Amino acid sequence: MKMHDKVWFPVLYMFLATLFFSAILIVFGAFTRQRVEDNERIAFERAVLEAVPIELAKRISPAEIHRLYVENIRDATPQTGGALLYMKDDSLIAYALPLDGPGFWAPIKGVIGIAQDMRMITGIAFYEQNETPGLGGEITKPQFRNQFEGKKLATGGVPLEMRLPTEALDESSVHAITGATQTSTRFADFMNEQLRAWRATVEER
Amino acid sequence: MTFGAQLTHLLVILFASIFTENILLARFLGMCSFLSVSRQIKTAVGLGFAVVFVMTFTVGLDWLAYRFVLQPYHIEYFRFILFIVIIAAFVQFVEMAIERYSPVLYQNLGIFLPLITVNCAILGASLFMVIREYGFVEGVVFGLGSGIGWMLAIVAMAGIREKLAHSRIPKGLQGPGITLIIAGLMALAFIGFTGVLSGG
Amino acid sequence: MPGQIRTRDVVINGLWVDNPVFHQILGICSALAVTNLVINTVVMSVAVIFTTALSGFTVSLLRKWTPRVIRMMVETLIIAFYVILFDQALKAYWPDMSRSLGPYVGLIITNCIIMGRAEAFANANPPGISLLDGFFSGAGYALVLIAVSIVRELLGMGSILGIPVPFFSTQLDRWIIMVMPPGAFFTLAVIVWILRSLQQSRSGETGK
Repeated sequence: MKMHDKVWFPVLYMFLATLFFSAILIVFGAFTRQRVEDNERIAFERAVLEAVPIELAKRISPAEIHRLYVENIRDATPQTGGALLYMKDDSLIAYALPLDGPGFWAPIKGVIGIAQDMRMITGIAFYEQNETPGLGGEITKPQFRNQFEGKKLATGGVPLEMRLPTEALDESSVHAITGATQTSTRFADFMNEQLRAWRATVEER
Repeated sequence: MTFGAQLTHLLVILFASIFTENILLARFLGMCSFLSVSRQIKTAVGLGFAVVFVMTFTVGLDWLAYRFVLQPYHIEYFRFILFIVIIAAFVQFVEMAIERYSPVLYQNLGIFLPLITVNCAILGASLFMVIREYGFVEGVVFGLGSGIGWMLAIVAMAGIREKLAHSRIPKGLQGPGITLIIAGLMALAFIGFTGVLSGG
Repeated sequence: MPGQIRTRDVVINGLWVDNPVFHQILGICSALAVTNLVINTVVMSVAVIFTTALSGFTVSLLRKWTPRVIRMMVETLIIAFYVILFDQALKAYWPDMSRSLGPYVGLIITNCIIMGRAEAFANANPPGISLLDGFFSGAGYALVLIAVSIVRELLGMGSILGIPVPFFSTQLDRWIIMVMPPGAFFTLAVIVWILRSLQQSRSGETGK
């Protein structure tokens, strides 16, 4: 084809090809966007419910998650320092503080539940992370998360200390994940920073 | 941040990307050319320099593209395509420039450039820069460090392989097999650096 | 152009003779990164098979029009297209898996196997057979990787696909090194050694 020899043909071709494939991607993206956003919304709501002391069935449908969330969780206000509230019959049972910070590979996003006394932890759950599966990725597993329940935030210094798997624990510390020191320490750093900021905001009322 | 703190922060990023988070030995990026071009120190150094050069500049360019083109229009998922296009265009441009202005440099460096376009480490460095949400200077320093780290690994590998060239290695293990084992040992050694710095 | 390439040849090529991982030594980056867990390896393999097959098909469809000078850029564009499509589909219909695969999506695009097949095969052959060639090259990759991941997960965590295996999870001490980079290098080295030796002794001549 004679067109091939023209100088402008490759540029035009590249431009058209990019346009064509990008158009398909954009259409597909628009088509799935609602689903993706719903999935992300449900993941967040699920994490909030898992962080506070609510009974959740093992297999729970997205519709059920949303229903429980709407029924029991109140939005954050400036007075709550960004934390959502788990209310039952108009009384506060627990705070649900969203956590968001850098992990080893990508941002880690989770929710930590703190009881009304602002000291005892009711649970922790993650709704976004991209850490190494089997290592940093273990933060989403019950083994890591269960250690948080019942722990108390320390009044001074580091609210919740991340210790090496070999060290002993007290009521204000948890074990890091074996082989995932980076993920564990990065998470602990921003978790504590955000816990401190939250406490300061709420305490000054 | 004070200037001193900023400088320290940048140095930490630099050293972490060279040693503790070595883009090749810890992140496994750029393996293909690493395995095939690491026979001789001379070629390894040539390719290494080319990688450092391209990586540093493309991370900078990709940062600008991300900040001024992708983010304002909320099409961040296009970064894969845009970054690769920028990298390919940059390499093509550099190759043409070198060929025209310095035949000597072209002889030594130019031939490696096409190899670099498909080097996953180059794209990888830019993707990490996005994930870690680095600023411009941090990103460029990270790119520079990653490149140096890659070069360090390939030159060290070439040095070892040159020495091994006269040893008797089982047939099935020759070439990629023994290179992977050496890489494993090097990765093991580099892990020793991890406690020294808390990276980035 | 050579005579009609038989389907049988394409299958054997992709899986054994020209196996992308242990014969051509391509796609190593992800072979090391993903193989610490079998489930991730499986999903990654599906993604690679999907991408290699479809991009081979598409590159082949366009091969008569694509100008030589931008050939590689167009190939990269097509590969990136399929990868992003796959990733978006996962995000919408299997979000948990999308979260696991997240960092590795970029790795698929620069996976030398996909580009290698596009260059070596799809550029010069009809779409139908290119699709098959892509599929079986991806399958060859999958086989080697799954072997590596079984070794790594078994020795490193005592399980396969997350299910604990007797003896490995109870009596044998975990080899943490298997979960980390050096373990990946060593396991792949041994498997490459075994398969190459097998291949060389069968063909009776030195490998590439």
